[in-house]
Amino acid sequence: MASDSAAPSEYLLELDDIEAGYGRAALVLRGLTVKVPPATVVCLVGPNGAGKSTVLKVASGMLTPRSGTIRVAGHDVTRNNPQQMLAAGLSHVLQGHSVFKEMTVSENVMLGAYSVKDKAEVAGRVDFVKTLFPVVADRWSALAGALSGGQQKQVEFARSLMVSPRVVLLDEPSMGLDPKATATVFEQVVRMRDAGTAVLLVEQNARRALETADLGCVLDLGRVHISGPAQDLLADPQLAELYLGGRPAATTASRSSKDTTHV
Amino acid sequence: MSLLLQSLVLGVLLGGLYALLAAGLTLYFGVMRVVMIAHSAFLILAAYLAWFFTRTTGLDPMISLLLTVPLFFGIGVVMQRLLISRLRPATLTMMSVLLTFSIALTIEGLLGFAFTGTQRRIRLPYGGANFEILGANVAVVKLIAFLLAAVSLGALFLLLKKTQFGQALRATIQHPEAARLVGINTDRVAGYGFGLGLATAAIGGTALALDSTIYPSLHWHWIGPLMAIIVVGGLGSIPGAAIAAMVLGLGQSLLQIPLGTTWAQTFFYIALFATLMLRPQGFFGGRLAQRF
Repeated sequence: MASDSAAPSEYLLELDDIEAGYGRAALVLRGLTVKVPPATVVCLVGPNGAGKSTVLKVASGMLTPRSGTIRVAGHDVTRNNPQQMLAAGLSHVLQGHSVFKEMTVSENVMLGAYSVKDKAEVAGRVDFVKTLFPVVADRWSALAGALSGGQQKQVEFARSLMVSPRVVLLDEPSMGLDPKATATVFEQVVRMRDAGTAVLLVEQNARRALETADLGCVLDLGRVHISGPAQDLLADPQLAELYLGGRPAATTASRSSKDTTHV
Repeated sequence: MSLLLQSLVLGVLLGGLYALLAAGLTLYFGVMRVVMIAHSAFLILAAYLAWFFTRTTGLDPMISLLLTVPLFFGIGVVMQRLLISRLRPATLTMMSVLLTFSIALTIEGLLGFAFTGTQRRIRLPYGGANFEILGANVAVVKLIAFLLAAVSLGALFLLLKKTQFGQALRATIQHPEAARLVGINTDRVAGYGFGLGLATAAIGGTALALDSTIYPSLHWHWIGPLMAIIVVGGLGSIPGAAIAAMVLGLGQSLLQIPLGTTWAQTFFYIALFATLMLRPQGFFGGRLAQRF
């Protein structure tokens, strides 16, 4: 585990000047800085290949950064493995479907508490996630693989909350879902936030994600290009043209990450 | 009619033993996508250890399980951590064939070196005992082997279904990345899973030794039928392997009546080719495949 020098911080998760890549290939993240305050949904949007999912892999310990610092509530956790990141309070929900399909919903949810030894705490968390996600309570004994895509996603959310995480890392939760299921999933993201959990959300459906989030970061070429309150980003005509369905404009080159204030 | 009944009873007993012998093989593939060619060599190694134990101590060969089961479990964990885990994920399945093939040859060579190539057989006081069930004559050793297989597979089922380790192992089989993210040390679980597979080889080999003549190269005779069983059952599915073992064991036993012992053996390979042509994922794959 990385050194545990705790410094008071107003942020639950801080990724500071992160450089990361896969194997010997070129860097995917090039000096990225993202900060997540408590009980806030922070959304990362950007074009394909911008490094959005890589940010979450670095934050959950699946990919060790080449340089930079990761702090959770002020504690340096930069070189932690996934188990240690989970213990530090970071829970990662993968892109696509990652339920254990041939296990029941209850087995899936209980595996979320694999590292929690206190049975009373586990029972309390089960009640909590059942209240937060009614479908989990309704389909408790069903085989997870038999649920619809949207329901599976809610089981994954419930599983990720079993460790009482500080920050949940959500990678493209609406991927492959129909509009109704997508709406439900985004409602659940807000409910997680309202229940006190911070969320770092990566989403291809940028407009929908920014409508849900409190803060937003636009990633491009492995660094934060623009950041700020999500509503401001949605209202920015240049941003809307570039990343929310418009066509690229030549003026973007002047907006480098170094000029912007990170979230 | 009595011949048919006799074949049916023997087929069931044989199928139960095959199920145990194949359980480990399908477990390795389910957990790590490893094709463990050396599994049958470990079966024969366990059979030799049971024979040697009985010859040296005069005790029943099944007592040797107290030594061989933990020993094989340990060997499995070490083998996975030191050898299998070093293979590149992209070529793991293919390279595991070569790696475990070399381990099989090593075991065969060591057995020949230690015990020579002479055929061996455990002499048991109840070795020739028989009893009659529904008019069929059943050797006591075959029933013991079947019961040993049934108890072991039952214990394996409970371990996988009811314990936290079993849940972690099943989660690792079904979605390794998600398993890591819920805090499971998937490397350690994979090591224990491999150890568990090899522990079944210790029991299977001992059960085999009760009623078989053994020699160092005998494992080549077994690996083909065992591979056929796990392919027909659906790679990675323990229940699939158990059902396929029972079906193929019964089929082999019944075909011995018209075709004789040698040709009846081809049933495994016909079933293997038919499965690969008609249903490559195995007849009990799909939904059953990852359940355990």
